[in-house]
Amino acid sequence: MSAIMAEPPAIRELGPSPFAGTKLVGELRLQVGTRAGKGIATRQYHAGALRILRPHYLDDTAQVCYTIVNPGGGYLGGDNYGIEVSVDADTSLLLTTQSATKVYKTPGTFVRQDMVVSLGPGAVLEYVPDQLIAYRGASYRQFTHVDMQQDSSLLFCEVLTPGWSPDGKLFRYDEVRMRTEVSVDGRLVVLDNLLVKPGADSLDSLLFLQDYTHVGMLLAIDANIGAGDVERMRELAYKIGEAQRTEVHLGISQVPGPGIAVRALSNSTEAINAVLMAVIDALRHHLRGQKPLNLRKY
Amino acid sequence: MPNTPTSPAAGHLLTLLQLSDSALPTGSFSHSLGLESYLSTEAVHDEASFTLWLEKFLSQSLAYTDGLTVRLAYEAAGGAELARIDALVTAAAVPRQIREAGVKMGARMLHVATNVFPTPELEEYRLQVQSGACSGHPGIAFALGARGAGAPCADTVAAYLFSTITSLTQNAIRGIPIGQNAGQRVLRAMHAPVLQTVDMIFGLEVQDLGAAAPGLEIAQMRHEHLRARMFMS
Repeated sequence: MSAIMAEPPAIRELGPSPFAGTKLVGELRLQVGTRAGKGIATRQYHAGALRILRPHYLDDTAQVCYTIVNPGGGYLGGDNYGIEVSVDADTSLLLTTQSATKVYKTPGTFVRQDMVVSLGPGAVLEYVPDQLIAYRGASYRQFTHVDMQQDSSLLFCEVLTPGWSPDGKLFRYDEVRMRTEVSVDGRLVVLDNLLVKPGADSLDSLLFLQDYTHVGMLLAIDANIGAGDVERMRELAYKIGEAQRTEVHLGISQVPGPGIAVRALSNSTEAINAVLMAVIDALRHHLRGQKPLNLRKY
Repeated sequence: MPNTPTSPAAGHLLTLLQLSDSALPTGSFSHSLGLESYLSTEAVHDEASFTLWLEKFLSQSLAYTDGLTVRLAYEAAGGAELARIDALVTAAAVPRQIREAGVKMGARMLHVATNVFPTPELEEYRLQVQSGACSGHPGIAFALGARGAGAPCADTVAAYLFSTITSLTQNAIRGIPIGQNAGQRVLRAMHAPVLQTVDMIFGLEVQDLGAAAPGLEIAQMRHEHLRARMFMS
């Protein structure tokens, strides 16, 4: 437990909570700024089933990496989680998780996670969590609001997988929604409103999953992502996808912002991760001259 | 003895028929909305597979995008609410060609509606699009035109959905290809799903607007580099 930060909450300095009025099972509020040339949490607060580990610096840049931990282990029906992340001007934050997020059966209700992100001028947020695992009968809704500036940079990804039963059969969860609203300079540019309902059989899931089980998504918004970059990323992603032992079915398109969106389907978390990580690394290199991401978790 | 109508024909019926007519110059005949990618992989290849695809497209995609847009625009209290719906539905079109299809068909639908069925709300929306405050969406222009003619909201949503289903069926007749009679059978088979989808749309909320199925989005994205395309999306 020594790795878990034990600083007193600083709610007053963080300002009013965006989750006021909602009963939260876990709450995390984090403000990251630059001190002595490095990114670092300048204000933070956590309560209940969400914490963060002490900061890491994964490369020779000023980018700070924080890891979100859910000591409770899994999400249950009716649980609400709230995460607020503010990145100050010209500060770079990499946010990840310690392990996969597991959503168990949520009879008659759903798990909800709200994430509110604010990026200052020149700020960078890379959000690269472990996969979300949804078990039989699970319903999960994630609402993310990102407010960024013309010259800030966002990289956001998710992998969604079904849970396995003890006898090795795949569960069919009820429904997963991941709604991400991104505004640049106060103007809505992208609403990435992913909905997956596996249904009873592969006919039901023709448009959702086809015959695949795993879903990956990536959204990057940065003023320096041009149409040519989108074409290059597509070629790269297709090439990496074809090199996987498990098939990856994917699509890439340019979005306003400007930015890029990736969607991937597969039967393997590793295969989807390989494609998403290739795009992440290429974007980090192109936009920031940063080395490939190594989360050192495996 | 001559027949006499038991009730006078409703004026809004003719407005809905005209706005829903596949001959309305919105360019819908050149958009497959992802269908062409399923044709290229032969996931859709005949009347039965197209019927199944169309029913899923209607209830799992069109309901959340255009269908809910029509209902929300019809219910909107003013220009600011319309602008919010316009921004959400445009931003939710993540695949580039779907976004472009919405803007193109939106401009044409708005042009027709403001010319033929002018209302103060349509004029205000036209100015918002002209100034760049709004992108323009066919569902919004359709809803305002139909509301101006006194059409009930549920009929307006049903007419819009069936109009899109009809365009896609005509595109399938050319694209698969299937016969004209097969196309008519598909349309008849869509009556019940369209009515069920209208019911479902009345249970949705603003946060559902633009909810997208990943498999369909991949098909819509991959259409950008499909060889030998017949359609623009």
